[in-house]
Amino acid sequence: MSFEEISHTADIKIRAHAPTLEALFSETFKALMQVIYGTNRAGGILREIRIESSDNESLLADFLSEVLFVSEVESLVFSDACIRIDGLCLTAELWGEPFDPVRHSGGSEVKGISYSGLAITSEANGYMLDIIFDV
Amino acid sequence: MLEGINRIGMHEWEVPVGYVAGMRVPGRFFLSESLGKTLEPGAVQQLANVATLPGILKNSLAMPDIHWGYGFPIGGVAAFSVDEGVISPGGVGFDINCGVRLLTTPLLHKDVTGRRDLIDELFRTVPTGVGAKSVLKVSPQVLECMMVNGAQWAVKAGYGVERDLIRCEEGGFLKTADIRSVSAKAKQRGIPQGGTLGSGNHFLEIQVVHEIFDPDAAKAFGLALGQVCCMIHCGSRGLGHQVCTDHLKILESATKKYHITIPDRQLACAPITSPEGMAYFGAMAAAANYAWANRQMITHTTRQVLSKMFRIEYDQMPLIYDVAHNVAKMEEHVLDGKRMNVCVHRKGATRAFGPGSRDIPHDLTSLGQPVIIPGSMGTSSFVLHGTQVAMDRTFGSTCHGAGRIMSRTQAKKNLSGREIMANLLKEGIIVRAHSENAIADEAPDVYKPSDEVVNVVHEVGISRLVARLSPLGGIKG
Repeated sequence: MSFEEISHTADIKIRAHAPTLEALFSETFKALMQVIYGTNRAGGILREIRIESSDNESLLADFLSEVLFVSEVESLVFSDACIRIDGLCLTAELWGEPFDPVRHSGGSEVKGISYSGLAITSEANGYMLDIIFDV
Repeated sequence: MLEGINRIGMHEWEVPVGYVAGMRVPGRFFLSESLGKTLEPGAVQQLANVATLPGILKNSLAMPDIHWGYGFPIGGVAAFSVDEGVISPGGVGFDINCGVRLLTTPLLHKDVTGRRDLIDELFRTVPTGVGAKSVLKVSPQVLECMMVNGAQWAVKAGYGVERDLIRCEEGGFLKTADIRSVSAKAKQRGIPQGGTLGSGNHFLEIQVVHEIFDPDAAKAFGLALGQVCCMIHCGSRGLGHQVCTDHLKILESATKKYHITIPDRQLACAPITSPEGMAYFGAMAAAANYAWANRQMITHTTRQVLSKMFRIEYDQMPLIYDVAHNVAKMEEHVLDGKRMNVCVHRKGATRAFGPGSRDIPHDLTSLGQPVIIPGSMGTSSFVLHGTQVAMDRTFGSTCHGAGRIMSRTQAKKNLSGREIMANLLKEGIIVRAHSENAIADEAPDVYKPSDEVVNVVHEVGISRLVARLSPLGGIKG
């Protein structure tokens, strides 16, 4: 399991690999939180998200958009997620902590999850994706 | 220049129909030979993708700050027939009405030289960066007023003076706002963020007028050599981001419903006159108005700080102009000799209406509207004026900034925020930000040289240079 930032002129492009779809979503979720809030994040508070969508890419984009929403309105910084995917339904338990300006101000606000170039593909050891976060 | 692109003028290039399948019109962009070295194939592909959308008129256009975005390229402009065309959030972006405004002051360079306390005070009073919340208590009713009346609400609420509105594109609010199309989620995000700057490339900068190119135009705009000004660059915050996210989803279904073929999901769209298209248009206008109210509130805070620190009057700091960078609007343009209403999308581009336009301040009718072009941190910003050439060739549009050439990933690897701040300080430029990464992300080297970009629009004639402003200090998210 891993994610990396790929060079993109205007925005943040993430490439992730994982053995399962759930793990792939979890890596992308962690990448999103790292871009916004940096690496110093802890757990403690639980939130649940349920999403249904029309395909895997939409499911991921909708899930991450919901994470952006919950994180912003509740001032929560998430560190970990337990994700279950059943067909095109996703349930996620997110673990996080209240936003701390000292530890969490080092990143870039993500304005939205872009569909441009978003593709989830199967590979020998599982799945991979490229995704662009608008910052 | 990239293969398959034809040169049709000194700074003008055509992407022919067929560059990507389904193009209805050619693409056209403005770029100098030297700036062409930084052009990404992805940006040209996106320009060509836009040309496939139904009802596109004349050309899919891009300004010299063109770079790879999502949906439209950054710097992209396209106009659509109201009857046969579409509207797309991919032509506006997540940060609806991200824009820029310029205030002048009666202060001179020497008055603010070395005044770190000014930058510190602005950093303290204007909420910036990730997680920043407004100190203002915005009620749901006030939020509705912000979305309906934009900067006009803000002025009536005491955050400015009447004259500010005359100096805003569209008078500081779009009359087409429909708050019923704004989701509860978007409203929830909008409430705590009124008067906040945001992060990324948003900034508030103290500048000095360093060079005047057109003395008559500078005088008409109210700019003088050596004068201290303030530039504010921000948008519609989480409310606008949520409007885009919500309607992208709705329009994706609509794209299928109306049997529209698109080459990129981010170009999801619907006929302008369809219920889905109208809903996005109304919600986007509401978010644009929120952005105008937001910039007006930050203007008020800035004026209060300057007024207190330098003992100058609030009304001694007039607004030169406020322009939107990310917006879709109904505008009147002349096509094939006929005056008609079209839906112009500008995604990282600036309106540059020329002389005689009914939509610019009356006292500037003979000149054209002011065009404000921010540079990158540490480099010059510019004031230009709109032209008839822009009306004829780009649906009254010009560039919006310098345009990035280096990724944020690369910037963080190559440049230390601390070193950049130290180098800027040697030049007398004081910068405050919440993190060193924010400085490295937006360092001068990550952008095209702003003077080269504005020289292209000046030489093509889609706007003409009036003045150059140099940075003295600023705050970033």
